[in-house]
Order: sequence, then C-alpha cells, then structure tokens
Amino acid sequence: MSSWMLRTVDRDSVFTRIDFRAKVVAAAVLTLVAFVWESPVLTALLLVIVMLTALIAGVKPDYLWRVLRLLAPFYLFLLLTQGFFAGEIILARTGEEMLTPLLSFPEQWWLIGGATMTLEGVLYGFAVIFKTLIMVLALPLVIFTTDVNAMVVGLVKVGIPYKVAFVFSATFRFFPLLFDEIQSIIEAQRLRGLAFERMGPLKRARVYARIAVPLILGAIVKSQMTEVVLQSKAFSGSSDRTYLHEARLTALDYAVVLASIFFLLAAAIAYLGFDIGRFAGPL
Amino acid sequence: MRTIASLNNVSYLYPRSLSPVLHDLSLEIHEGEFLGLIGPTGAGKSTLCLTLNGIVPQFYGGRFFGRVTVAGLDSLDQPISVLARHVGMILEDPEIQITAFSVENEVAFALENLSLPRDEILVRIPEALAAVRLEGTEKKHPHQLSGGQKQRLVIAAALALRPQLLVLDEPTAQLDPVGAREVFEVVHELNRELGLTILLSGHAAEELAEYADRIVLLSGGRLVRSGSPDEIYSDVKLLMDNNLRPPEVTRTFYLLNQIDVPVANLPVRLDAGVAALREIWDRGVDDSLPHPVLPAEANTRSPDETPVLSVDNLIHEYEDGTRALRGISFDVGQGEYVLIAGQNGAGKTTLVRHFLKLLEPTAGRVFVWGQPTGSLTVSDIARRIGYVGQNPDSQIFNATVEAEVSFALRNLEYPPAEVERRVSESLELLDLREVRRRHPLSLPRGDRARIVIAAVLAMEPEVLIFDEPTTGQDYHGAQVILDITRRLHRAGKTVIVITHQLYLMPGYAERVLIMGEGTLLLDAPIREAYHATDVLEATYLRPPQAVLLAQSVCSDGTGACLMLTPEDVASYVSRRLGDSMDRGNGHE
Repeated sequence: MSSWMLRTVDRDSVFTRIDFRAKVVAAAVLTLVAFVWESPVLTALLLVIVMLTALIAGVKPDYLWRVLRLLAPFYLFLLLTQGFFAGEIILARTGEEMLTPLLSFPEQWWLIGGATMTLEGVLYGFAVIFKTLIMVLALPLVIFTTDVNAMVVGLVKVGIPYKVAFVFSATFRFFPLLFDEIQSIIEAQRLRGLAFERMGPLKRARVYARIAVPLILGAIVKSQMTEVVLQSKAFSGSSDRTYLHEARLTALDYAVVLASIFFLLAAAIAYLGFDIGRFAGPL
Repeated sequence: MRTIASLNNVSYLYPRSLSPVLHDLSLEIHEGEFLGLIGPTGAGKSTLCLTLNGIVPQFYGGRFFGRVTVAGLDSLDQPISVLARHVGMILEDPEIQITAFSVENEVAFALENLSLPRDEILVRIPEALAAVRLEGTEKKHPHQLSGGQKQRLVIAAALALRPQLLVLDEPTAQLDPVGAREVFEVVHELNRELGLTILLSGHAAEELAEYADRIVLLSGGRLVRSGSPDEIYSDVKLLMDNNLRPPEVTRTFYLLNQIDVPVANLPVRLDAGVAALREIWDRGVDDSLPHPVLPAEANTRSPDETPVLSVDNLIHEYEDGTRALRGISFDVGQGEYVLIAGQNGAGKTTLVRHFLKLLEPTAGRVFVWGQPTGSLTVSDIARRIGYVGQNPDSQIFNATVEAEVSFALRNLEYPPAEVERRVSESLELLDLREVRRRHPLSLPRGDRARIVIAAVLAMEPEVLIFDEPTTGQDYHGAQVILDITRRLHRAGKTVIVITHQLYLMPGYAERVLIMGEGTLLLDAPIREAYHATDVLEATYLRPPQAVLLAQSVCSDGTGACLMLTPEDVASYVSRRLGDSMDRGNGHE
C-alpha cells in the first residue's frame, strides 16, 4: 500500500471541471500578486481565500496541516530575522522616522545586546510568510484537482512537445513506485539488524545515500522494461497522435481566465496608483 | 491452416553475449490456435515472445540470424510501432505494464499513439473492456483493481488494437489462483469466441493442459518437441529431463504405470483422470474392503509446548480505513512448520509483519517468546526472527554477494572471525560459494532469491518467515528453495511459509492456516486442510489435482482418504487393487 500516492482529490467539484490551462493562468496571477504584495492584511486575506478554496476543492486539511508543520521552523526563523533586522529596510521604504519597539535585549548581552524587535519587522515577516504560503498552496490546488491526462493534453495544447508532457506524466506515475522501493529497501536493512530507530539524522542520511546504488540499478532495469512495454504499445514519442481526452475551453474556463486578468489589472492599478498592497500602505 | 507468424532458423545473441539464447529455431504459429510455450528458466521463452513484435532485435540489438514474419510482415523491415498493430504483447508484471492513470486511458494509449480518430477510440474501449469482463471500470484508477483485473486490463489494452496474434509471456506468474484462473478463462474465451491466435508461455501445467491446442517445449534455445497437450504432458520423462512439472493427474498415472497398474494413455486433464480412475475401479476394486493406511509423515516432529509466536485477537486497520485483519488468534510452537494460505488481500503478509514489528496492532496483542512486541525494536526482533520478503530485488543493496550476506553481521558487530564463519556457512548451505564475489544483480533470479535467504540465515535466527518465496521461480527453483526450508525445519527451526501455490507444500508444511478477508478460516494439519475444499473455495484457493483425484474415489471422511500427492494416490490405488485381487484369489 503506497503512502506516497499522489494526493489527488477524489471529490468532483467545480475545480476539477476547470481546464488545466485556465487553472495555470489563475495560479500564475495569484503567485505574481502574492509576490508583489507586502501588506500583511492583504496577503492574509488572499491566503485565507486560497486556503478556503483548497478545502472546498477537496484538498485534505491533513495535507494543509502537514505543509504548515513542515514549514514552521523556517517561518519561525523568518519572523525572528525580520523582526530584528528588517527595521532599516522598512524605514527606507516607508520614509517613517520611528519604529515601534516590541522588546529589546540589554546592551551588555554578548552579540545580541541592544538588538530590538520591532512591530513593523514582525508584521513584515508575517507578510512574507503569507505570500510564500499562497505560492506553496496554489500549486497543489492546480495539480491535485487536475486529472493527469487532462494535464498532458493541456500542456500539448499550449505547444509543449508530447514527449515532454509524457515524461511529466510518467514522473507522476513512477515516483510513488520509487518511494515504495526506498521504503522497502530501508525495511530490508532494518530486518538485517540496522538500528534505524536509534540513529541520528547524520547516520540516517548515510543510510539513504547507500540506497542510491541499488535504487539506480533497479531503475535502469525498470526503465528498460518500461521502454519495452511502451514500444509494444506503439509509443514513439511522436506528437503526431490523437487523444482520448478533449481539451475544449468552456465558458467557465474563459470566465476564470478573464477574472484572473481583471484581478491582476485591478491589483496593479491599486498598487501603482494608490499604494494599496505596499507595506504600510492604505490597507 | 493459415500461418499467422513464423520463425525460420532463428538464432539470436544478446549484445555482449557469447552464447545464443535462441538456436536455429523454426516454428509456425497457425491462425486460431492456442499455442502453449513451455520450458525451464533460461530456455529462451521470453526472447522468443519478443521476436514476434520486433523488440528483439530492434530494441535490444545483438546478433540476429534467420527470419521472423508476422501477418506477412518481416520483423526486421517494419518498425515496432507497425508490428504492434498486429501483435498484442502481455508480460509478466502487470504493475510495470500499466502506464496510465485510468482504465480507459490505459486502453486508449496505444490507439492514441497510432493516431486513431477519437470516435474510433471511443468505440474500441468498451469493446475491449467487455472482452475481458471489465465493463464499468472505465473511470477507475488502475490501483483500485486486483492483480487479476490489472492483468486483464493489460490484455484489454492489447486487444483494443485488434491484433491477429496475442502473445502472453508468463501472464499468471505473479497472480494468485483466482487471478490466474480469470486470465486463463478470458484468454480461452478470446481464442474460442473471437478466433484470436494465442501464444502463451508459462509454467501452469494444469491450465495449459486444459486450454492449449498445441504445446511447444523449448530448452536451451532449441525447439525440443511440439505436439498436443496429451502428447507432451504424458511424456513425463521428457518433462522431468527438462526440469518441468507434469500435471498432477498425469504424474499419478505415470507412477501407477511404474508400479504395474498399466494405463494405456496417461490422462493430462482432471476429468480424464477421474474417468480413468473410475475405469480401474470398475475393473476390479472391491469398495467394501477397508482402506489401506496412509504412510506416516516422514518429517513430523512433535513441537514444543512453549509458543514462540502468538497473536491474541489481532486487529489491523490501515490508514485508509481498510480492515486487513479482523481479530486473529493463534500460537506457533517451537519447531513447527506452518503454511499460511489464502487469496491475495486475505491479510497473510499483514499478519506476519506484526511479528517483526513492521506493523503495529490497531487492537489486540502480539507476542514473540512471550514478550509483547511493543517493548522491542525491529532490529532486536530481526536477530531472532528472519523474514524473507516477497521481491528479492528490493532486499538486495550491496555490491557483492559476500557483502550482502555479511551486512547483518557487521550491523550486529560480530568479530571478523565469526562473521567469516557464518558467511561461509550460509553461502555453503545455499550453494552460492562460486558466486561469492559477483554482483548480486548480475545473477539469475533464482540465485538472487537464495542470496536474500543466505543473508537472513547468517543471523542464525530461530524462526524463519518466507513470504511467497516461490513466486517467479520455475518448478525446479521452487523446489530448491523449499528444500532449504525443510532442512532448516529439520535442524529445529520454526518455519512459516506464505504461499498460494498449494501443490508445492505437501512434504514440507505440517500445519496450515487458511485466511480469508482478514480472518482465520481454518487451522488444521495439512491433510485435513487440503481436503477442506469448502474452506479453500471460500478464499478462492483450489486444492492440488491429486486431492481432487483422491476425493473422486475415496471420500468417507476417515483419515485414510486424506491423500495429498500423486505418490499418495498412486500407492492407495495400487494397494486397493492388490487387496481386491488377494480377496478375489482367496475366494477361488
């Protein structure tokens, strides 16, 4: 039983019906806007919308939670560094004279003495966290709600050679198998007295490194078999082929693309004209 | 009869190989026939199959002599993609053959590659799925299918091309008995109803005897014999000389012939065997005489009372909610040889993985030597319980056979002299001394399986668990492995074997646990278990032919009828005949 199976949502929703290309446009716009925005309020708002969308689309809360947990140490580091050191940049950007101190260390402390954590720095840190989260979550929203076949057809339709699109989909197909293989090799090693549970991270890393050789050898044998299978099915990699799935853009898809473009324009005008989205801007 | 494919004086050497895999081989495949291809491992069966769609030599290269034509096309002149239209190819492992994410896409894949119009593809998908009885699964992910269904999907994908010839290379080697039967029945139907020509290579003697029109025996890359299943399978000596196994029915009557009960034509199918037995009975067996007593078991040891392994109301639920085990309790005593049987998905592997703490119970308790596994680590348990898993290749990770076998000993920090002693012993026991410095992956599959066993044995565990050790082995390879288990058992070890190849286990296992859908259906001595046909059927297992043959003449519920092997049946029949004749003579 593969624990690494691609977590495709099994719920049929409006998101699974939107064409891959429309979803990519929407995700790209989202990512771009999130990249530019520095306002903690606006990025937080956008993040909440993205998260709700993901949940409605059927991405498991468990998955979101796992992403958050994985990124938590990185985010803590980000908050601290921004909180202590972003002050200068923010002063320069906003043109303000004074920052609001939250806490500072006594002068006589070695190395960190006199450092001050500022409210603005922490807020800026939060904005950075929110924007990276938006980018991290937009991708699964697109991938998990799209059938791989539709993805392949979508890629081909935007001009990517079939061979490349096929390799892309084959990766989705065979990666879970690869992870299973890694698991079973480690298991076999534990069954031969390797005390994996008593190892530190460094030793564990060494164990993983040793697996590379059998894994690659196995992969070579497998890829040769796969090629025999593909050739037996008349696969040649040629783009001159037909597709079972049709990728026709529906009104819904056009609506999504138009809405995305409208949102991008609106965000751009608001940003350039009214400073909305800038750090310490009107919002 | 029209010829659909032919090989004319074909010889072939793989790149960098000095000896030919195929040697001046000529064969004609006739339209509409079901041709069975048999032969020991290394006979060249797979290579022969791959010449038919040009993979050999177009993909592999190497040196090729002679000529192969399929549907009038020369396999050297046409690209593989053209030949693929005429020859559907099905290989052993369904996992690796399925490349798509849904059933319908898998069937459509080859059609898309050949640029068939979408409307035509939409017609062919339901047609192909109906032919293999997979209607209604179009939108399913292939992972949701069982092993037999997956292999049928692979067949459907090949059928969608409407080929003239379907080539199946060991299509049932990795399937459980239900899956294998499904595949054989579908192939048989395609042959009878659509007139599709079939070439099927494999070791399933009973099935080939039943379904094939003609059998070709290959050995050392040469065609040794071609004939009807009756001709080939009744030539028991020919089969044994080539490390092949005759159907059990045939072997039973062959043995009877040896002990002076003449049978003119050796039957190769169960129904013919039952009829032949009836005839012997009519000829002069007096059914009122008492049954002869079965010979005592040669390797029965009385097990110790202390349980080595024990589970108490074990329940296991996987993360996705599947209930794999639903409350199982039993003990295994020191020195027992236990067979665990049941269809795929019955929970056999899930069960034994608990003994090694690779899985933890959802509810219930697991003990090894009276200690709950919760207090132990995997590596602690591994010193005392050796586990040989299913696929040898994912248990091999060293660059030499020697390093593989000593891996555990180095982990457990034995002194070098001790490591050397154990490695040598282990290699000796498994007949691997010659290949000590070779790379494990450069050796044949049979050797690789033995390397894994050697590596586990080096730890000198007291209990050994073998999970499907004979899958993918030919008859000879399977026997070599099982003989090792018997030797270990005789040396006092506790042995557990998981398999659904029931016919292999008489003479080895003593006790049988039959599992079905996560429950323990039966726990009995092997003779009783093999004759509990209802229980076996409930978990889609079939008893060996010898058991069914025995039941056709002896079924009064006494222990004397619990025969397991062709040897048992032959000796029973000859003694009944003898007894009847003695009485007849006495009356005169």
